[in-house]
Amino acid sequence: MAEPQRAAGGGIRIAGVSHTYRPPRGRAVLALDHVSLEAGDNEFLALLGPSGCGKSTMLYLIGGFLPIESGVIEVRGKRVTAPGPDRGVVFQHFALFPWKTVRENVLYGLEKQRLPKAERMERAMAFIEKVNLTGFEDAYPAQLSGGMKQRVAIARTLAMDPSVLLMDEPFGALDAQTRRLMQEELLGILARNTKTVVFVTHDVQEAVLLADRVAVMSARPGRIKEIVDVADVGGTADAIRDRRFVEKVDYLWNSVRGEALAAQKGV
Amino acid sequence: MSASGLAGASLRLLAASGSVIALLVGWEALARSDVVSDFLLPQFTVVASRIAEDTLSGTLPVQLGLTLWRALAGFALAGVIGVGIGVMMARNKAAAWFFDPIVSIGFPAPKIAFLPVFILWFGLFDLSKILMTAFAAIFPVIVATAAGTEGVDKYIVWSARNAGASGRNILYEIILPAALPQIITGLQVALPISLIVTIVSEMVMGGEGLGGTMMVAARFADSVGVFAGIVQIAIAGYVLIKAIELVRRRLLVWHQETQQIATF
Amino acid sequence: MTAFLWRYSPLFLIAAAWEIAPRSGMLDAALLPPFSEVMAAMARLIIDPGLYVHAAASLMREIAGLGLAVVVGVGLGIVMAWYAPVRILVNPLVRCIYPMPKSALIPVMIMWLGLGHLAKIGLIFMGCLLPVIVSSYNAARGVETVLIWSAQNAGASRREILTEIVLPASMPEILSGVRTALALSFVLLVSSEFLMAREGLGYMIAFLGEGGIYDAMFATVLLVSGIGFAADRAYLAFTRRALAWRA
Repeated sequence: MAEPQRAAGGGIRIAGVSHTYRPPRGRAVLALDHVSLEAGDNEFLALLGPSGCGKSTMLYLIGGFLPIESGVIEVRGKRVTAPGPDRGVVFQHFALFPWKTVRENVLYGLEKQRLPKAERMERAMAFIEKVNLTGFEDAYPAQLSGGMKQRVAIARTLAMDPSVLLMDEPFGALDAQTRRLMQEELLGILARNTKTVVFVTHDVQEAVLLADRVAVMSARPGRIKEIVDVADVGGTADAIRDRRFVEKVDYLWNSVRGEALAAQKGV
Repeated sequence: MSASGLAGASLRLLAASGSVIALLVGWEALARSDVVSDFLLPQFTVVASRIAEDTLSGTLPVQLGLTLWRALAGFALAGVIGVGIGVMMARNKAAAWFFDPIVSIGFPAPKIAFLPVFILWFGLFDLSKILMTAFAAIFPVIVATAAGTEGVDKYIVWSARNAGASGRNILYEIILPAALPQIITGLQVALPISLIVTIVSEMVMGGEGLGGTMMVAARFADSVGVFAGIVQIAIAGYVLIKAIELVRRRLLVWHQETQQIATF
Repeated sequence: MTAFLWRYSPLFLIAAAWEIAPRSGMLDAALLPPFSEVMAAMARLIIDPGLYVHAAASLMREIAGLGLAVVVGVGLGIVMAWYAPVRILVNPLVRCIYPMPKSALIPVMIMWLGLGHLAKIGLIFMGCLLPVIVSSYNAARGVETVLIWSAQNAGASRREILTEIVLPASMPEILSGVRTALALSFVLLVSSEFLMAREGLGYMIAFLGEGGIYDAMFATVLLVSGIGFAADRAYLAFTRRALAWRA
């Protein structure tokens, strides 16, 4: 069958965004403080920072799940107001529908887009194959390993053909070995279908390996501390042994380190 | 409690009583309107004044006290014996083998069907009601206790052994406290059951007690009396539930569910 | 098979004790007929068509009352969790009525609906409604946010999310609440048949007791207990299949 349409990536513009987290009980907390950031077309941008720095919050604001109270977020020139399949999200804990099989999970977004049945089926099977899960279409999530569940989540999101991919520590819930394999797989998948990606992680090495640019965020309230270009390193599995790669990781870790310590103190 | 914590708690109390007030207002409004007759739904104010009358004349405290005494006695019996059997089942294979079919059949069966048996054996007075209540209430206690005791994390038991604790120590100092949350949950399920069964027993056997007086009111078409009874039982039920929740919070101060988990 | 027999073998011991105690005079046989006599009475009952008339009456009320409670309760509970106006309206009612012992409704039902079928069905409906509403409400509220976000991400409408995501995701907890309602429905059924019926299994037990026919009374009590137990088991088997995806 023909290669699924290559969706053009979409530029993301974030300007002066602040966000306050208001829990039902307890004090309001400033999660993000006037964050401005841009991601170009088909660029892979990593958001790197310690726990609680607001990087996931930033992602969900772009996704349209949280209200944007101050500042502006635009994707491909359009302001973000609500969730939608143009910005596909991959969640850390997979968020698969447990009562649906693998195939049904992947089909869900396609059903919402009201594609004709034959085309839906074809697309779903194609993406299941893309993530190497052929043969597991009729399994339930409860029967799959963590790595397999995440692959279903990725297939499901990619099948929606979003112009932007938002990934919230997608490999954070996996063991170290599976994580490395998934990182390689992701690079492979994106090599064939480039998209704009915003990738949240606290793992420095992962960020340098996968991304074109890495935005370092400070401890809460989150601000952009600095942005480092890493397009010339990483990108393949053996790149991690490259000297320049190691230097970049080192540099970024030192940048993050102070923030991580501050976050540990429970700022 | 911090200032904001106090404000939050007061707000919640206000919201909770607000719902009661809303219900009462709705009741009164519906009763006063011509939609339903006074017989079907007497006005709350009329019912309330009946309750006040009964309280002042002393009948309500007597009836309520009688019902509560029976229900709580049955509950206590079920609690003590139930926990005992539950612990035994969790720790002793023979006990588990013996009680398991009884409990697994008894638990979903409607124990109230045995009421005529208890009447036959123990007559029409307090004893039969208390025993019937205990019989009905014991099953959730046994099930919860057995599950809680069995489910104690073996690592903390090993930890205690490591420190040199004896078998007896371990049971009373480690296992029972660890199983306490689930045991109390079982007791929390058993308490309303105790009240329900006591009331039904009183209704069937007649005589004194809230159940008995309500049936008399129904037979004499004393609508106000019946609704007064409902309100009284509702209050009794509410008080008992809140009381045991309080006990739970006190006993389980250490438990994760009681702690305000740091939110970040 | 042997595992099954072993598990239930203590019951044989109890049956044996039940036989020996009254026959040997340890217990008064007038108050506790020997097990064999109870079994004989049960055999007589089973071939008597009268039993099935009573049983049908009971089961019909049971199914009607419970069925209605489940349909209304699940719908109401989920809608409450999802739409604030409904919640604000219904929540106070639920919170007030929930702690009340449902058997207190029996006298009201007698007054409102007399002694017919409707009174029992109404009682079971009202008694079982609340546990179902509460568990459906909690289940719907407890649906993981990421599942809803996932559906929103895919472009689902509000109504689609309710029927395609919230409802299936809530099923485990809802089914658990219905199991409680099932047990409660039997209690209410038997209680109401003791007090306000002219046919039905509860009525039978009371009638036989008052008439001194104790062997048949015990037989019927066992029968009713067995039905309650069997219903629960059947329900569990059903939920296991419905929730097969849980693995």
